[in-house]
Amino acid sequence: MERLLALWVEPLSEERADGSTLRDLLRLLDALEVLCPFVEVIRLGLCVLPLRGPSRFFGGDEAVLAAVRQSVRDVLDLDVTLGVAEGLFCAELAARQGTVLLAGQTTAFRRAQPLGVLGHRELATTGRRLGLYTVGDFADLDAARVAERFSAAVRVLHRVARGELGELPGQRDPRLATRLRSVRGEAVPSDEQVSFFGQRSAGDDRAQAAAHRVRHRLGPEAVFVARLHGGRVPEDRASLAPWGSPSRELRDDAPWPGRLGGPSPVTSLQQPVAVELRDESGEPVRVGVRGSLSAVPASLVLVRGSRRGVIWHAGPWPLVERWWSTPRRRAHLQVLLDGGEAMLLSIEAGRWWLVGIYD
Amino acid sequence: MATLRPVTLAKSRIVPVAEPWASLLPGGGLRRGSTVVVHAPPGLGGLSVALSLLSEASARGHWVAVVGVDDPGVVAMSDLGVDLRRVLFVPRPRGAWAEATADLLDGVDLVIVRPPSRASHVAARRLMDRVRERGTVVLALTEPRAPWPLPADLTLHLTGSRWTMSSRLDARYVTLRVGGRGEAARGGEHVVVVPDVRGRAVAR
Repeated sequence: MERLLALWVEPLSEERADGSTLRDLLRLLDALEVLCPFVEVIRLGLCVLPLRGPSRFFGGDEAVLAAVRQSVRDVLDLDVTLGVAEGLFCAELAARQGTVLLAGQTTAFRRAQPLGVLGHRELATTGRRLGLYTVGDFADLDAARVAERFSAAVRVLHRVARGELGELPGQRDPRLATRLRSVRGEAVPSDEQVSFFGQRSAGDDRAQAAAHRVRHRLGPEAVFVARLHGGRVPEDRASLAPWGSPSRELRDDAPWPGRLGGPSPVTSLQQPVAVELRDESGEPVRVGVRGSLSAVPASLVLVRGSRRGVIWHAGPWPLVERWWSTPRRRAHLQVLLDGGEAMLLSIEAGRWWLVGIYD
Repeated sequence: MATLRPVTLAKSRIVPVAEPWASLLPGGGLRRGSTVVVHAPPGLGGLSVALSLLSEASARGHWVAVVGVDDPGVVAMSDLGVDLRRVLFVPRPRGAWAEATADLLDGVDLVIVRPPSRASHVAARRLMDRVRERGTVVLALTEPRAPWPLPADLTLHLTGSRWTMSSRLDARYVTLRVGGRGEAARGGEHVVVVPDVRGRAVAR
């Protein structure tokens, strides 16, 4: 596994309301890219770069660390801790603890960590009952025993604990790169930006004229443009607004986008469709108070009785938000149907809804 | 006898596409004036394939439009690399999908259209003539129950679709058979990952 240098910048790990976090992160990235073109932002507050190349170039690990510290000091007046370890999982831990591990020391370091660092509460609780206190204790469990006792998610963590996988699922924020790109577009106006916000190009005019014609043909609510906004699940984060309505500025300044990682559904239902999720005996599947499913989903009943087999599911991922002052509780579940279609469901107040299709 | 014609760069005759499509499509992009058909059973990835073919064009400053896709996943589109500032959506054109598409082909470089019902010969012919005349591209997204009624310049036929999962859906491997006229007729079968774990289209 590759030795990584990780930078943990605590003050940049929480997004500030004024948008300055992403801008600071960009400045940091630009400075680090001078040292190493492969620097990567993993999450807010966490960047990594492979150490081998720069180390050869600068003449040793210490020289790279010094150069990185210096360039962080030059661009941001913030505290940064550096860590070196093999694999992203250990590199982050090392950075948070300010530890530089030499080649070959990562395994011992990983094994000594408390089980909680794997970020799975149920595993930590059950582990304690079984007398497993460290990542190493958990790694020593037989994979087959882990498989019979724990969920698929924990099996993945077991591989991380054993050093077979270098990073935790969900360790990366998959949307951060896109968001940084859009911030960069706003902060540094490129030619196309000027043409969009300032002088309009001939292409812009032609497109607007075409939109006019379609609206004339089909009515005022026919042509739409996209808007991205705050929200933690895909169906909340985007909407279509009628073309020509005020404020077309696209902004994605949502806070930390939440737990629903992985790809977003390419069809995101603006008006969710009520569905039923049933177990093998035809009973409705519910989400219990502790956020687990009452039974394994076996079928999904779509509109008017069309019934499809469910061959796999993931989640539920609970979500509690304040909607004005009433807390809104939802949970999301991914299901794979027997025909190969994948769908995103949401449950709210005991009702299942189809909210997305991975078409 | 050779005729004199203005020198056009090969590039400008192409609406650009991102990888993995650029290395997979004949000519490295979508030829202006051509009709492209993405044919896929519903729910298996056809829409993702079609939308990812928009990304490079929109990112390079071309306007694009999406007709007949009623609930586009805008976050997913952004992850696919589409620059949403230059996308016009006509989600519910109802019976006037062909007319709306024709209107848009006058003003944007690439239109994705998912006909709500089977396209008639006349409608299809009219759109194909329009793109040829305008030097734009129409990309029809069709299903087995309502195929495109005329031969297209380029067809991407989705023949397989498989998800990989961990603690969630990670990535989908779709198999596409490339066909059509000219160079495209040589065809070939390709596997593309769309979406990958970050929502992008990538080569396998």
